Amino acid sequence: MGLCGRCLAAGWGTRVLCVWARGSLGPWGVDLWAPSRQAWPGPPQARGVARSNPFRRGQEQEWRRRNKTVLTYVGAAAVGMVGMSYAAVPLYRLYCQATGLGGSAVAGHGSDQIETMEPVKDRIIKVTFNADVHASLHWNFRPQQTEIYVVPGETALAFYKAKNSTDKPVIGISTYNVVPFEAGQYFNKIQCFCFEEQRLNPQEEVDMPVFFFIDPEFAEDPRMASVDLITLSYTFFEAKEGHKLPLPGYQKQIVK
Amino acid sequence: MSTAMNFGSKSFTPRPPDKGAFPLDHFGECKGFKEKFMKCLRANRFENALCRQESKEYLECRMERQLMAKEPLEKLGFKDLIDEKSEEKHSKL
Repeated sequence: MGLCGRCLAAGWGTRVLCVWARGSLGPWGVDLWAPSRQAWPGPPQARGVARSNPFRRGQEQEWRRRNKTVLTYVGAAAVGMVGMSYAAVPLYRLYCQATGLGGSAVAGHGSDQIETMEPVKDRIIKVTFNADVHASLHWNFRPQQTEIYVVPGETALAFYKAKNSTDKPVIGISTYNVVPFEAGQYFNKIQCFCFEEQRLNPQEEVDMPVFFFIDPEFAEDPRMASVDLITLSYTFFEAKEGHKLPLPGYQKQIVK
Repeated sequence: MSTAMNFGSKSFTPRPPDKGAFPLDHFGECKGFKEKFMKCLRANRFENALCRQESKEYLECRMERQLMAKEPLEKLGFKDLIDEKSEEKHSKL
């Protein structure tokens, strides 16, 4: 330890009492009287000295190389994330079609299918009908049959009746719901009266038909094995002038 | 109506009809055919399979009166009824 060590231990300042340690190394192994020659990088002018040290240079190069590698990896990960967020949209759609989650449309459903589909005669399904109106709409809206027995693959017709009991022409617009939800993806409406403005004159009563079928694939879905009852529920709302309802991607079709 | 707020829970998204909406039959032009169909349903305990002839007639009435886009009946799922009719015709001849 030397004399300076003993001085420190006695609590006196190193510089003052290490006067007689001049020329020798202090307790840290450092020549106190030659500040330029210090073991750590310290102030900027000392770094120039460090750079001339070949070991130091090699080390810095190594660090720079490693930094570049890490930066490349991070950059690649960021680009990968952005790419994945774009790819997620079609992938999710595929996943939904495969699993049918969320009642989304099943792939391969089209109107040409109606021509070629065969009724599955051993699977009889009872379809019940429900009718609702919004509180502000004074229409008398009800189904004309309580239930109907259909089989998958067979087109069926059902009727609702609506009467405008006010003295003014009223425009209504309706939407529907199918319970159980999973069966909703197999419930295909060929034509109905929903999602389009329907105008009823004062005291007018009309028949509103629904032409639908249940997809034959319903009979092959194991999740639907216990489903024997499907409820179709229509709700009418009043369509106000200039009020746009968020229709599900539906383009207004002119049937006439 | 259900809101699809919970991911993974069952929810229902309504789909627009394939051929759009039926125009309203304001003048009751096809009411007779409808009454026939409803009577048939009530008589057959609401079995759709037994009343398809009446439903076909109702749709034909609509098509004639411009209340429905004209379409070949095979496209509406009545292929079996048409085949029966043509078979009858052939057998008569």
